Amino acid sequence: MEINKETCIGCALCVNYCPMSCISIREGRSFIDQDECVECGVCKNSGVCPVDAIYEPEMDEKRNLRKTFSNPLISHSSTSVPGRGTEEMKTNDVTGRFKMGFTGIAAELGRPGTGTRFSDVQKVAQACARHKVEFEPLNPVTTIMTDRKKGLIDDRFLNEKVLSAIVEFIVPDEKVKGVLEDLMKISNEIDTVFSLDICGVADASGKPFFEKVVQEMGLEFSINGKVNVGLGRPLAEVL
Amino acid sequence: MTHTLHRRGNEDSLRDDFVIFAIAAQSVNAKGIAPKFEDFYRIVKKHNPSNTGDMKKGNEFVLGDEAVGRDMLDNSIVHAVFNDEKTVVKVLKELKEADLGLSIVVSGIIHSIDQCCRKNDMKMHTVERSLGIWGKRELLPDEPVLEISTMCGHGMIPFKLVDKMAEDISRNRITTRDAAVVIAKQCHCGVVNVPRVERILDMMAGK
Repeated sequence: MEINKETCIGCALCVNYCPMSCISIREGRSFIDQDECVECGVCKNSGVCPVDAIYEPEMDEKRNLRKTFSNPLISHSSTSVPGRGTEEMKTNDVTGRFKMGFTGIAAELGRPGTGTRFSDVQKVAQACARHKVEFEPLNPVTTIMTDRKKGLIDDRFLNEKVLSAIVEFIVPDEKVKGVLEDLMKISNEIDTVFSLDICGVADASGKPFFEKVVQEMGLEFSINGKVNVGLGRPLAEVL
Repeated sequence: MTHTLHRRGNEDSLRDDFVIFAIAAQSVNAKGIAPKFEDFYRIVKKHNPSNTGDMKKGNEFVLGDEAVGRDMLDNSIVHAVFNDEKTVVKVLKELKEADLGLSIVVSGIIHSIDQCCRKNDMKMHTVERSLGIWGKRELLPDEPVLEISTMCGHGMIPFKLVDKMAEDISRNRITTRDAAVVIAKQCHCGVVNVPRVERILDMMAGK
């Protein structure tokens, strides 16, 4: 996003509408730090500017990448899914993406509210790749990897900043503990945060396998969660 | 991804926070399914949700609920926020009977969702849990700000805006309800729980 200096009146109303806190007032006009701006569009879409001085300039490939990962109204071309571009467990009753015996893990870098460079996304992806995880093919981060076995991301994008990006993969249940241990280690080596989630098919008792592993490791779940209640059709085989 | 999973808060804060949404699998059953989203919307609206929205169009505080409920697309993702377990039980009952074929996902306190399913003779199919926030946590604001900001999983609610709204309430520049609506408007999906935001803002503002 950019500010039209001719029309901006320097009222500063837009300053509070930037999730990256990259709008400031300089020389009496709003100023957007382009290196920090993730092209999420919140400032413009809020309609807060009284003189309509916020605009989206023509974007090159890198700025478009920022926008695609940061503005949830944009459907990722690789998946046709708006938001962060992945259906993950939301459609698991129909896709059978996660089957019994396997656990899905997703680290959403930059969430909540800090943003992330792809260099940090790559660090996390590499840590996971060492466990020979299967990165989710229908996920936008996976599509910009140049080497999925090593978790390497296209060099051109490593310094690009986005609101959030999800490293998402599936592992056999027996690998869950090792992956979580390595995620703990790598979390100390990044300049941002990630929100971590874990998912799996519920067994006959109503519990997914991973709950036992997480409890044995002494980690704590949030009390809330998300449940696919199995009403999608046609039902996929997950056993 | 996980846009309603990582909502922050303890049991007391989250007790009235449920989101029910519908989605189609783009690779399996999405083609031609748009009218089913309209059926879904008619069902959830009967139960007075406190917010609704379609990720492809926007939320009801920006568009109005009639606009949210029409012109659905095959890749719409349609949401409704509810504030008590009893209503969630009723909505799930109707959705089960309607057999729309859409995937239905419920976010909330896990043991409550489990109860809602059991009361309808349903079982949790796939369960997703949050393991919280890892990494450079010193970058994060205080917990009440996070509790509001994380109601939009796509990060559309800036921390600064939450602080500004709380400050304006404390100085009687805006009502709590209006401030909560300002915040809810930022989240396209319509998953911000407005009554819960009001409660947290009042606490932040010392009211």
